[in-house]
Amino acid sequence: MSGLLWGMLFGLLAGTAIALAALFGVWWERKVAGRIQMRFGPQEAGPAGLLQTLADTIKLVLKEDITPRLADKRLFRVAPLVVFTPVAMSLAVIPFAKGWAPLDTSVGVLFFLAVPSISVLGILLGGWASGNSYATLGGMRGAAQMVSYEVPRTLAVLSVVVLAGTLRPTLLLGRFQWWWLIATFAGFVVYLISSIAEMNRGPFDLAEAESELVAGYFADYSGIRWAVFMMTEYGSVLAASLFGAATFLGGGWPFGGLLGVVALLVKAVLITTLIIWVKWTLPRMRADQLMRLCWTVLTPIALVQLLIVGAVVPWL
Amino acid sequence: MALVDKIGQSLTGAPLVLTNVDALIDWSRGQSLWAMPMGTACCAMELIAASFSKFDFDRLGSFPRPDPRHTDVMIVAGTITRKMAPAVKRLWEQMPEPKYCIAMGNCAVSGGIFYYDTYSVVRGVDEIIPVDVYLSGCPPRPEALQDAVLQLRELIRSRSIAQGREYDRVYTLPLPGGERAGTTDPGRAEAADVLAGRRPKTGGDE
Amino acid sequence: MNIDELREHLCATYPDLCPLFSIEFGDGVLIVDRGRYWSAAKDLRDLGFDRLGMITAVDGIDDFEIVARLTAREIGAHIFLKTHVPRDEPAIETLTDLWPAADWQEREVYDMFGISFRGHPDMRRILLPDDWVGHPLRKDYRDERIIRRPDYI
Repeated sequence: MSGLLWGMLFGLLAGTAIALAALFGVWWERKVAGRIQMRFGPQEAGPAGLLQTLADTIKLVLKEDITPRLADKRLFRVAPLVVFTPVAMSLAVIPFAKGWAPLDTSVGVLFFLAVPSISVLGILLGGWASGNSYATLGGMRGAAQMVSYEVPRTLAVLSVVVLAGTLRPTLLLGRFQWWWLIATFAGFVVYLISSIAEMNRGPFDLAEAESELVAGYFADYSGIRWAVFMMTEYGSVLAASLFGAATFLGGGWPFGGLLGVVALLVKAVLITTLIIWVKWTLPRMRADQLMRLCWTVLTPIALVQLLIVGAVVPWL
Repeated sequence: MALVDKIGQSLTGAPLVLTNVDALIDWSRGQSLWAMPMGTACCAMELIAASFSKFDFDRLGSFPRPDPRHTDVMIVAGTITRKMAPAVKRLWEQMPEPKYCIAMGNCAVSGGIFYYDTYSVVRGVDEIIPVDVYLSGCPPRPEALQDAVLQLRELIRSRSIAQGREYDRVYTLPLPGGERAGTTDPGRAEAADVLAGRRPKTGGDE
Repeated sequence: MNIDELREHLCATYPDLCPLFSIEFGDGVLIVDRGRYWSAAKDLRDLGFDRLGMITAVDGIDDFEIVARLTAREIGAHIFLKTHVPRDEPAIETLTDLWPAADWQEREVYDMFGISFRGHPDMRRILLPDDWVGHPLRKDYRDERIIRRPDYI
């Protein structure tokens, strides 16, 4: 019984944490994007514009809820949740400290890599259920891209797993050594690029291309339903940054304890800034260039990385 | 929201006064006005300039979204021709409530330079959609457009989620017909009278 | 290439077009009959005028005057090709098979003046809505939606 209670409490906390993380993520993105474009981001709402996302959220909640006439109503309403929930779940296995993760499973890395793929289903659902052929096209493009980029991402993370010899994230964090930064650097780059493509972000956002598909698979979503899609995107940015910091950059290394948690968060924010930087600097890639990058560039590099790591391991 | 009034009546027998809730909601709506840039002509250049580095819309919380379903305010920037009018109407209807419209530039306000001697221009976008803020200029400067957004904020803050209630807000620019209008031009005085409701609108172009 | 060289170049290759060549406002102009229009255009293209800049029309009360501007990039010359079309039968051959750029230009002339082009692949309105009645740039176009500018402004 107390397990159920603890689970519900944790669920509430996790939901709040994700909401706050998305709030922070949106604010940080608008500030960084503003600075890249030689302007300030939001300034008026609260100190340094911190309450801007709060204003956005309140406004979105009170917007009219439009369901298109040709839409499949049940699927239309379910799609944002199908996209959001796996990403929220994947946050549970991230090791925040050497021995502690909210959900400490022996297959945590696998959980993190596999569970967010369920969101692909939600994207297809959202595109199809909008009843709009352009949204369907956007959904299919997004799904194809997300499914393809899982391969190099998994291979890249696999190289760290081979070095550590475990799939349990808390143990992985404990076994980190400084020369892994050099040995898995190519893998880290592949992981970053693949994560950006996973989230349909940055130069890989053809599925939601503003100037082409007018927001693609979430074109017909208004108000809070669309806000859930946005929360998913920023939630997965933070999840990918935290996980990347925990596996490739060694989490709290070289500090331990509470300072280690702070160090992990700082590293995650740095990776988030890098992701935002990439989005606001590079132009969008075409669909075939995107696929070609995945299969002919990133996957071979990840395989070579795996080869290098595999060659090193017997000498450990 | 008639629901609010009904709840108030049933609980206390008197209408509810919701000043703080209204303040929060109106603040949030005014602070995050996502704009649909209906930019068809030269005013669109000024709209873009107002969004970019030197003048920056994002610090007011407003940024352009291409999809009407995600936006609150449609900024009609540019001449609307008869061929474009159905498209504007359709996009306006796709926007979810509460929605506002800023008519930017002389062409959107009244047909502007194309008022006379033309067969194909809609004389003012308020022939098609309801406009909240009229911003004249050919084209208006980016500062003027940002001032229009601030005026729209004042308009939003004067509204309440309970029906039939309004708050008094101070508009810093003189409105036609107000005591600061101060014009001796008979045509403009007549226009001011019509807008303030002191004189009925007669005839018309259509 | 200046005007005199252009005149010499034209006369050397096509002597029958030579008397039709004149100079208006410093530009070379070739005014031909309706029947000679397409073949003159083809001759000019063979002469080296490989780029069609525009095709437009002028409503001259009695008839329409069709104006085409051609540019020769290699030799650096431009020339106007003009012809007249009667008002009661406004039709002429299309230049689309010579220069593909003529496609939309001629659609615009049709839209504004009502001159139809024989052999055009897609003869329909381009600027105005498809159900518009009338051709606005004709001098006798009347529309009750037009508000005339008052004289005292």
